[in-house]
Amino acid sequence: MDIKQVMKDYFLGLDTAARTGSRKVAWCTSVGPAEILRALDFEVFFPENHGAMLGATRMSTDTIPEANALGYSPDICSYLTSDIGAYLKKMTPLTKAYGIKSVPRPDVLVYNTNQCKEVMHWFEFFAREFKVPAIGIHSPRHLPEVEDCHVTDVVGQFRKLIAQLEPIAGRKFDSARLSEVLLLSKQATDLWEQVLATAKHRPSPLSFFDGTIFMGPIVVLRGTTIARDYYASLLKDMNERIRKGKAAVRVEAKRIYWDGMPVWGRLRAQSDLFALNEAAVVASTYCNSWVFSDFDPQNALESMARAYLGIFINRDDSYKLEYIDRLVREFAVDGVVFHEAKTCPNNSNSQYDLPGRLRGRGIKTVIVNGDLCDLRCYGDEQAATVIEAFLETL
Amino acid sequence: MNSENYEYFWGVDCGSTEIKIAVIDSSGQVVHMEKRKTLFPLTENVRAALTGGGRVPVPFANNGSKRPGHKIIATGYGRAHLDFIDAKLTEIKAHGLGVGFQLEGQLPKDEPYTIVDIGGQDSKMIMVAGPNDVQFVINRKCAAGTGAYIEELAHRLQIPLAKMTELEKKHDRDLTLNSYCTVFASQEVIRILMEGEKVENLIHALYQSVVKRIFEMAPIGSPTVVFSGGVLQYHEALRAAFSRRLGEGKRAILAPQAQFCGAIGAAVFGRNK
Repeated sequence: MDIKQVMKDYFLGLDTAARTGSRKVAWCTSVGPAEILRALDFEVFFPENHGAMLGATRMSTDTIPEANALGYSPDICSYLTSDIGAYLKKMTPLTKAYGIKSVPRPDVLVYNTNQCKEVMHWFEFFAREFKVPAIGIHSPRHLPEVEDCHVTDVVGQFRKLIAQLEPIAGRKFDSARLSEVLLLSKQATDLWEQVLATAKHRPSPLSFFDGTIFMGPIVVLRGTTIARDYYASLLKDMNERIRKGKAAVRVEAKRIYWDGMPVWGRLRAQSDLFALNEAAVVASTYCNSWVFSDFDPQNALESMARAYLGIFINRDDSYKLEYIDRLVREFAVDGVVFHEAKTCPNNSNSQYDLPGRLRGRGIKTVIVNGDLCDLRCYGDEQAATVIEAFLETL
Repeated sequence: MNSENYEYFWGVDCGSTEIKIAVIDSSGQVVHMEKRKTLFPLTENVRAALTGGGRVPVPFANNGSKRPGHKIIATGYGRAHLDFIDAKLTEIKAHGLGVGFQLEGQLPKDEPYTIVDIGGQDSKMIMVAGPNDVQFVINRKCAAGTGAYIEELAHRLQIPLAKMTELEKKHDRDLTLNSYCTVFASQEVIRILMEGEKVENLIHALYQSVVKRIFEMAPIGSPTVVFSGGVLQYHEALRAAFSRRLGEGKRAILAPQAQFCGAIGAAVFGRNK
């Protein structure tokens, strides 16, 4: 299955639903309760995915200042400022890519603060603009362990959310339907995990930079047969590449782990930089963030709560240390690059000396300053020097 | 082509302010060094800078092609933009090699040492614990603690860079410049001047501030510190401030050709490879 076609069909379906009113549209955060929305038959749009597209197309450079001028600080999430700025400027990368005039008008906005509180401010802006409700799941944050009390709390919030969504969806919630959707999500996420695990092979058939493209469906289409089938097909492709000896980079002398957000506007340049220096970025925190092993269709709401609470970004530093250490060993990584994103402290794990603690375990690390979308915060020359110098030391 | 087939190894440190060139011959002697202001278009200007100074033949033939026997290695921020080079390496590795080459026999053998390089637009600390055990830190994007910071404030104070050390020696009290940001630091300097402060004390504060920024980058655990790069070479008062901050029991050495460490290191890299 072709990723471009999968994403095109997804966006065209959303656009049709929003324009014709054939189906209700919900906006959801990337690790929000998308399965509940799909079980209620919403078409689901993910503004973070839109933010990433704005970054990758470098349209963010034009849109962020619009949001800044409105009063959204240059120091806050540049997904938020890119996306709000795009709305203010009436711009979207969907136009050039798919001929779609604008992002789909929402009937409801659903966020989960398990990743950050910025999503709340972001969705509240659009709730005011579109005059639709923004409903939040307010997750207990930065957990050493996901405990029953946390799960009970979030399950309660899910039930309240469902009650608020039913009148908007115009249908009753069906728990059997949720189990079906969650089964599809579980199958897709398990397959995605297996796709990522093919990078344990030396040489790796895919890189982190490929992963940032391949991950589209696990973000925007989980809970559908399309996502499940796409990852089944992708897994086959990756295994075929391994069989044929096809590698992500021509020479894989060094294997790298990437922590933090991608620098969306510099994916190509960074991909080339690592490849030229004979290094493959074989594992990342980011791509693994959509592996939800806890999903259990037999126990849908509780397992969703557990899975969405248990994500890396919502854990304490001891968990993060063990997690990265484990992946470094499993993927036979030579060094870890921490991307410290200026506008995303929640996804920058270098700020409380986690790299130092990994070095204490004999793992080499380096920090690259940059940002996910705001290229004002990224120095090409400095980043290239830091990455190249790090690779020279390995 | 193996290194034995070359007669001259050119190291070109293409920095933000100046291009430094060093040539090592096949016997391992530095036979030529020169520097030029970094001008653009870069490639043409760097080509024109490879004169050899009458001591080394020019590496290019009349038609612009590279002559046999010459190997050119680039480092510095402009390294990726030169189309005639044989290889490139980062400033981190180049300074490490340049320092090791110049101070052979003078550096502790079984003990780590730290190289501090303050450049035009970035500062680096390179911690060398062995040939294959090198760590480094570079300043964040902010220019504080770099040559650009010193130049901007010197410009604001209307003092030639060459006179700064002499003036600093006349300071009579300690001041603190707080800001990370070069622009904010300039504003701070103006405010302090308006309050009637002596320029000599401000220069002293400026050097202290640069040293402070370097010490914020990483702890210096090694007993030996080597100063590399032009800023530390030409600002004696900065070296003195740094040494004072290092304190007792630490040894600070200025690399003999500090500004050319990167270029020499690049040439050494070419000869070794």
